Amino acid sequence: MGDWSGYIGLMLDGARVTVELTVLGCALALPVAFAAGLGRLSRFWAVRALALAYIEFFRGTSIFVQLFWAYFVLPLIGFELTPLQAGVLALGLNVGAYGAEVVRSAVQSIGREQHEACVALNLTRWQGLRHVLLPQAFVVMIPTFGNNAIELLKATSVVSLISLTDLTFQAQVVRSQTGSTAIPFLTVLVIYFALASMISFGMKTLERRMTRGLDGIRH
Amino acid sequence: MTEPIIDPIINVDHVTKSYGSFTVLKDLCFSVMPGEKLALIGPSGSGKTTILRTLMTLERIDSGFVRVDGDYLFHMERNGRVVPADEAHLHRMRAKIGMVFQLFNLFPHKTVLENVTLAPMLTKGVRAAEAQRRAMELLEMVGMAGKANSMPAALSGGQKQRVAIARALALQPRIMLFDEVTSALDPELVEEVLNVMRMLGTQTDMTMLLVTHEMSFAHDFADRVLFFDRGRIVEEGPPGEIFTNPRHERTQTFLKKIIAAGQRI
Repeated sequence: MGDWSGYIGLMLDGARVTVELTVLGCALALPVAFAAGLGRLSRFWAVRALALAYIEFFRGTSIFVQLFWAYFVLPLIGFELTPLQAGVLALGLNVGAYGAEVVRSAVQSIGREQHEACVALNLTRWQGLRHVLLPQAFVVMIPTFGNNAIELLKATSVVSLISLTDLTFQAQVVRSQTGSTAIPFLTVLVIYFALASMISFGMKTLERRMTRGLDGIRH
Repeated sequence: MTEPIIDPIINVDHVTKSYGSFTVLKDLCFSVMPGEKLALIGPSGSGKTTILRTLMTLERIDSGFVRVDGDYLFHMERNGRVVPADEAHLHRMRAKIGMVFQLFNLFPHKTVLENVTLAPMLTKGVRAAEAQRRAMELLEMVGMAGKANSMPAALSGGQKQRVAIARALALQPRIMLFDEVTSALDPELVEEVLNVMRMLGTQTDMTMLLVTHEMSFAHDFADRVLFFDRGRIVEEGPPGEIFTNPRHERTQTFLKKIIAAGQRI
């Protein structure tokens, strides 16, 4: 039974990879979501079309297939990626597509009167977006971004298919080496849940901070 | 005695605008002289708010021309031809015009002071310290300096509207548009906003256009009253004439209804 500490170490290594994928995936998904979401609202037809094509493609195809493309097909046309890079790319672009719709709908949820105030104060479109619409829209985005981040965390398990030693992969390793099924998978369950709870808590804290003052009291 | 020749600051020339099959402005023509205080009255749906929104470029027109301070608003001259205005032209033209809205439209995520300093800093490149100094002067003037660091949600309607007026004034527009600025206020808060406007009327040479249902205020404040009905100006004249001796039957009916509703003129 002394082996268990070794197995737990193995699982924690896997958890580290999962966290790494989640953080890097989010770091890619967030700017992509803003670029594509704002692209959908562009004045220019070509930008809107490009953003829409990206969003629909990545929402409309399976993340497994996207990952396989990133890892197995891209090398055929000269883009050799490590498993981690392929995982981050697929996860970031996939979740970024969902995030883009969050950005777009949040910006559109800000009342027309805010937009009109920007025009009346002679702000340019970009100034209005940057200083008036986006700061208000961001508050609306936070809860859904939290969901997206948790979705991304859970989706990281697909990278075990390209032999990245994430949490799920290591659980399989422990299972095959010990013959025990319930214990490794229970551990995995608990770790995923703990990670998701941390994201939830972080997002709630951020939301509280961002909405402070909007109800009439600042700080 | 001959009048000195001064060009109008606003010239609306055969302007028509429709929403689908509903024509909201019908071949509308009028001019406003610099410094003039104009009240636009009339039943709802008569086009009076639409014309203010059009002057602020929040609405586009279907045909006709609008000139502000000598330049076309929705058109520009390029190589000797008149072409539709581009965004840069609209941006230049908007600098001459400010607007105060019925529902204040303050920025809820910014303090009162930030609401007033934002546009001068962004559009005129005024430095933060200078923008704040001027904003405090304006807030002082509208009686809101004590709330400079409050968030808009903490203010009453009347206070919000006074901040909104200060915010519009911070850009030093030559023309100010007031769109039913007291309509959303509780009755006891109306007077504090009207007082600010009275002060602006007497202490500045801004051209002011107001759409209002406050007839007694329009009577005292305006140099000239335009009565709108169904997208046209039915009657215009000095308030003394329009309110006490309206010539057109529709003006008479409208004013009777207003008086029947309990308003003093």
